[in-house]
Amino acid sequence: MIAAIKQIRFSGLLALWFIALVVFALRAPAFFTVANFTSVLQFSTLLALVTLGQTLVILSGGGGIDLSVGGIVSLSGLVIASLLKAGMPGFAATLAGVVFGGVLGGINGSIITRLRLLPLIVTLGTYYAYNGLALALTGGAPISGLPASFGLLGQSEILTIPLHTVVLVAPIFLLLLFTLNQTPLGRWIYAVGSNEKTARLVGLPVDRIRLGVYISSGVLGALAGLVADSWLLSARPNIGDNLELLSLTAALLGGTSIFGGSGGISGSLVAVLFFTSLQVGLQMLNINSIWQLGLVGLFLIGSVLLDRLIRTAQTK
Amino acid sequence: MNWRRWLFGRRELTLALACVVVTLIFHFLSPYFLTAENLTTILRNSVELLLISLGITFILATAGIDIAVGGALGICAIFVGWSIQGGWPFGVVLLIGPLIGTGLGLISATLIVQGKIPPIIATLGLFGVYRAAIFLLLGGSWISGLPDTLGAAVNTTIAGIPITAIYVVVFYAAGWLIIRWLPLGVAIRATGGNERAARLSGVGIARTKFFVYGFTGLLVGFAAFLYVARYRNVETSTGGLVALDAIIASVLGGTSVLGGKANILGAMFGVLLVRLLQNGFVLIGVPSLWEQVITGVLLIGVLILDALAERSANDAQVVATQ
Repeated sequence: MIAAIKQIRFSGLLALWFIALVVFALRAPAFFTVANFTSVLQFSTLLALVTLGQTLVILSGGGGIDLSVGGIVSLSGLVIASLLKAGMPGFAATLAGVVFGGVLGGINGSIITRLRLLPLIVTLGTYYAYNGLALALTGGAPISGLPASFGLLGQSEILTIPLHTVVLVAPIFLLLLFTLNQTPLGRWIYAVGSNEKTARLVGLPVDRIRLGVYISSGVLGALAGLVADSWLLSARPNIGDNLELLSLTAALLGGTSIFGGSGGISGSLVAVLFFTSLQVGLQMLNINSIWQLGLVGLFLIGSVLLDRLIRTAQTK
Repeated sequence: MNWRRWLFGRRELTLALACVVVTLIFHFLSPYFLTAENLTTILRNSVELLLISLGITFILATAGIDIAVGGALGICAIFVGWSIQGGWPFGVVLLIGPLIGTGLGLISATLIVQGKIPPIIATLGLFGVYRAAIFLLLGGSWISGLPDTLGAAVNTTIAGIPITAIYVVVFYAAGWLIIRWLPLGVAIRATGGNERAARLSGVGIARTKFFVYGFTGLLVGFAAFLYVARYRNVETSTGGLVALDAIIASVLGGTSVLGGKANILGAMFGVLLVRLLQNGFVLIGVPSLWEQVITGVLLIGVLILDALAERSANDAQVVATQ
């Protein structure tokens, strides 16, 4: 029965995305073009990477949530950019930035698991700390003028597909999909999320698994920061703004339960593509992008309500 | 030992003491800090957050949360602005904010109670909807250059006490009365402590939740009135993420996000401590961009201290029982 609900949810989301695509195609002839397909993917990468991390965090339960992820994106982007400006080669700067993002996620994870504090509150604190640091250290000004060669990842395409979609989003998605569904580690994440007590009793390293998902969220955030740097050839201290709310919404709309233990990253990815299509389509129709936020909010509430209705109907 | 427990066992006293210590430190560092004028400024800058934090404290006590209050504040502020532009009598201008706010609070409560949607999801969704609604209502432009008809409502002093302080005291006294002395307060804490047990013992869960979200809406509406009176404009970003500030203040004040506990005075001193620190750091020359960092580090620091203190208290208890 639960599988049936998940199926309905997932197809519902796909249908919603399809409807959005059709509406845009009818209203804006330029929507269904190869160039536009590229730009949807181009815009989706940041949110996709962050949402994958957010989904892992929520899946692992214990009230898991990462509000600080936008700050991690901004701050890691700044670290990578300043290392590049200091003359470090691109690969080394990237590696340092990714490690840095992992450390920021690790700070969240350690405080949450060691002190048994609620993720909502801890990451609310680091949301302020990380975002604030990104603003304060730069005085609000972007670090710009990165070498043009660094734009390879963010600006080039392979067969009309952005390079970062091919080398980052797709492989990471597939790797995570495989890990979650086919490996013990993946099943452990679900187990820890659906019943922490039982997971502890059967000897799963609950705290290490949770620490791991927060570190992953940090690493994915840093990769998003990297893509942004390479795309814009500058690091903006506010590039990660709103990504925490958007990624949370995408994960929940994608069918992951806020209580952990059920859901998955496929739904999250479809939700991200849906969001981005809305964003790009609304832009084409010259409609302010604030409507994206409003529509997404409505869909989020609507999807959970529908879920309830289906569930009550089935139990009757 | 006893005096220590008396002082540190009660969060509001610890925070009040922290406020005094912070004030003294900044007094030595800057001659401009401890002046009547500066303290009034701090108070005036805190009043909206003080009111919203009171509401959030009620909501957290029921194990709920409200991310959407910032959006609700923006919507209420638009209606207050319109009513001034339309030349409506003062009574209408005063009441329209709280009225709309209460209505919006009841929408949250309906989704949470009737729709059985977890509060964080319902209010996250509403946050997006409200942001779009603000944009729609404002039509992309700001309400600005409102006449100063409401200046008296925020700038008057009565017997030397700023009127904003009186608003705060009145609402907090009411909040404290409800939580400490009324059956409603018991119902609120019981709902947050253990909803199932509360329902089985005959607590009206639905009624209680409608009350806390409605009451918060009322406070948000009044905060919107004060906001418009102070700034005399409404922008698309009005309200922003004030929900997060308010949650921080409540948690600093000793209210648990898990529900069951509400520390009304703690929330008040939580807001004041954050604002004293932010103001003081600016006066000693730290750029105001560091504001967020200070808030975040303060929250994490207090949480860690709390957890460690609780752990050592538990250890002491274990030793004592052995």
